[in-house]
Amino acid sequence: MSRSANILIVLLAAISYLLILGPILLVVVTAFSPTDFFAFPPRGISLRWFETFFATEELRSAFWLSLELALAAATLATVAGTLAALAVARRRGVIAGILQGLFLAPLVFPTIILGLALLLFYKVIGGVPIFLGLLIAHTVVGAPFAIRSILASLQTFDPALEEAGQSLGAGPLRTFFLVTLPIIWPGIVSGWMFAFIVSFGELNTALFLTGPGVTTLPIEIFSYLQFQGGQLVIAAASAVQVALIVAIVFAVERVVGLARLVRSE
Amino acid sequence: MARPSLISGAAIPRRLLAGALLLPPLALFLAFFVGPLVYLFWVSLHSASQTALYGHQLTLEHYAQAFTDPFYLLIIRRTLLAAGAILGLCLVLGYATAYLIAPLPPRRRLWFLLLLLFPLMVSNVVRAYGWITILGRQGVINTLFRGLGISDAPLPLLYSFGAVAFGLMTILLPYMIISITNNLAAMERQYHEAAQSLGANPFRAFIHVILPLSSPGIASGMLLVFLLTMSAYVTATLLGGPRAKILVSLVYDSVTVFEWPRAAALAFVLLLLALAIAGLILLVLRPGRVQGRG
Amino acid sequence: MSESAATIDVSLDRVRKSYGNVAAVKGVSLAIPRGSFFSLLGPSGCGKTTTLRIIAGFELPSEGEVHIRGVRVTAVPPYKRDFAMVFQNFALFPHLTVAENVAFGLRMRRIPRAERAERVRQALALVKLDGFAVRYPKQLSGGQQQRVALARAIVVRPAVLLLDEPLGALDKNLREAMQVELRALQRQLGITTVFVTHDQEEALTMSDRIAVMNGGAIEQLGPPREVYERPATEFVATFLGASNLLEGRIAAIEAGKAVVDTAVGRLVVAGERRTAGERLRLAVRPERLRLHPPSSSQGFVARIREIVYRGATVQVFLDCGKQPILAFLQNAAPDSFPWGPGDEVRVGWEPESLVVLDERPR
Repeated sequence: MSRSANILIVLLAAISYLLILGPILLVVVTAFSPTDFFAFPPRGISLRWFETFFATEELRSAFWLSLELALAAATLATVAGTLAALAVARRRGVIAGILQGLFLAPLVFPTIILGLALLLFYKVIGGVPIFLGLLIAHTVVGAPFAIRSILASLQTFDPALEEAGQSLGAGPLRTFFLVTLPIIWPGIVSGWMFAFIVSFGELNTALFLTGPGVTTLPIEIFSYLQFQGGQLVIAAASAVQVALIVAIVFAVERVVGLARLVRSE
Repeated sequence: MARPSLISGAAIPRRLLAGALLLPPLALFLAFFVGPLVYLFWVSLHSASQTALYGHQLTLEHYAQAFTDPFYLLIIRRTLLAAGAILGLCLVLGYATAYLIAPLPPRRRLWFLLLLLFPLMVSNVVRAYGWITILGRQGVINTLFRGLGISDAPLPLLYSFGAVAFGLMTILLPYMIISITNNLAAMERQYHEAAQSLGANPFRAFIHVILPLSSPGIASGMLLVFLLTMSAYVTATLLGGPRAKILVSLVYDSVTVFEWPRAAALAFVLLLLALAIAGLILLVLRPGRVQGRG
Repeated sequence: MSESAATIDVSLDRVRKSYGNVAAVKGVSLAIPRGSFFSLLGPSGCGKTTTLRIIAGFELPSEGEVHIRGVRVTAVPPYKRDFAMVFQNFALFPHLTVAENVAFGLRMRRIPRAERAERVRQALALVKLDGFAVRYPKQLSGGQQQRVALARAIVVRPAVLLLDEPLGALDKNLREAMQVELRALQRQLGITTVFVTHDQEEALTMSDRIAVMNGGAIEQLGPPREVYERPATEFVATFLGASNLLEGRIAAIEAGKAVVDTAVGRLVVAGERRTAGERLRLAVRPERLRLHPPSSSQGFVARIREIVYRGATVQVFLDCGKQPILAFLQNAAPDSFPWGPGDEVRVGWEPESLVVLDERPR
């Protein structure tokens, strides 16, 4: 490629990364701001807004709710996802194709429509406790991420290994636990991670399914921004979310490795 | 030849075991994904009601309204225009970035991709907030301009369609980059070399070989970006305010006034538009012809 | 005919390619006359593919010069060099039909459409793929894809045709058939061809000249018969076919011949420029050995250790003194091999079959 074309490409790439990462970095930096209102450039470092965040009742309970919800939803999604992945992997034919399409559909389906549908559905079946309603929604939304990650693990898994296990006398259940599971568990772990992170940051179904007193952190942040303007405590809330995600990604990367992490996206 | 199902054994019939595996997730999806959507569609076919969720009459009036009422048509047109702008920008920036990252050695490439994956995991609300701090009246840009003496009064950068399109574009850009990067990285080096061995300089090799062969990556990137644009309620509301609404905002608005059938109908209109445009993208790009090794 | 009389289409002059501290190609020089079929033969990692890619321009040499048809192309990018290449995995463009694939090079050279179509048709006919023009690569078998790749390369009438292990992906029968076809096509068109392979049989059957490479350098360069029958180094002797290697020391020089003491006995080889006491390495191929009954006076005494029946040939593992010897015998007649393991026989060979190995590559 010519010199100027190369420079242009590098420039566009640099701009891309700047536009993508810049806002997040800015929010995190702002969270440490000592001032009352947003000021640029930052005037110093202070943890006051983090204190305020944890001191504010709504924000704190939203944070804990999001955490519990994400833990539960990720686990359920991973269990459901593992079963689905096992059932669908290596099946050929029209039915397998349809099943796979169904299980992966929430990835591309506008989840906001699902949120609305579930809201009405819950009403019609007589009402569902808010947390449970959210849990169900996040399990459905998170399962495809778990499935995709586990399927990727299964696809590289040589069926001969399983057959070898059986030829050595292990029944189907033992084969699964002693042969299959250890090999696919990195896929399960990274699938769990994706489901967790998706749930923790999920907006579209939570938009319809949260209620008074029972909101998730993203929705709480959204309300604050909509109705109370740019309060810096939101920056702190956001920074906490970012920190949690970074921590989890790091932990999982340690366990399953970088390549597996990125490849299943 | 049919491969054995993953869990097989002599004692328990294979099919029964596979069925047992399939049942829980299938039940979950049918009950809480397919079922509610079917019900939603059912609701959309009814007239409105003050007392119940929906009225007794079966009607297509909500759908008709979406396609005839000038207000709705305006919103739809604006939404599609914004989506088009977002797609265009994402394509240019995304392809350039992917072109740079894809040839890197795997280890380094993965780190660059992780750097893109990370923002996707941060909730859209946080990323939108980031843009608010940049574009807002007291935001970075205005503070900078005032400090440099470029302008006295703060520029109203926020609460416009431009802000929505721009902010959303940066939020969805990683999807496009990752999609095209994976395509380019998996592409055999030999195609590029084969083209050169036949007399194509790097530019012509790109136009005639690399670009067509990356159409699957482009297509899936465009589909993802487009679909997510159509459902980006929170981002549009935060960056656009009350005057720059997109179609999905109308769905939410109908819900706040408990007009369920209209909300449902608008939701399906959105879905319909999404499917139509998705089909168009696939038709134009024809990613299918590139499958298989040469 | 000396090489300077024929036109040299490709020449490499002391080409060297290093990656950091590792030299993939060390001081390779060669001159390929027009119309000849030249093979680069060696095991993986010997530098043959790197050398080919240097001729193509996909790698830049760290040192040395490359000339194609007298033009210095060392720093010229591939798309400006007059060559065409068939890749190991064919690299057919999946989004184009067979005809469009074949026409690609012509399009890049801005040949007008009508002429393009005609040349494509001819090329497809040459590789016996008439009627496949509108198919897509994924619809073709491996052998057919390989022929499309070939057609795509020859249709542009390049000065040099480069082939990077093009038959590697094919199964055995197909490969042998393609070897014959490829060579016939090359003769018919008269294109200077450089062929990279690790299969020594392939190189022997197809080439006018072979360069045997090892560790980045050419160990021997010459026509197949010469390289096979008079290997220059131990590597060449064992990479091409099999060889019995014998260590020896010159006991005396008499009348221009050197008498060599080896583990099997006393052997005689040419004595020019050799001195008594010098150590030598000798080689003799298993197929050149003859077995005689113990009562014979020919050859040397040996005991059969093991016999492996291979249908057309019989492999005989012998111990000649302390020296293990391998012999390949033709199964020429129903009762041609009356011996069994443990029997004593005598093993001998024609004097011309014995080769002295220099460690210095020629």
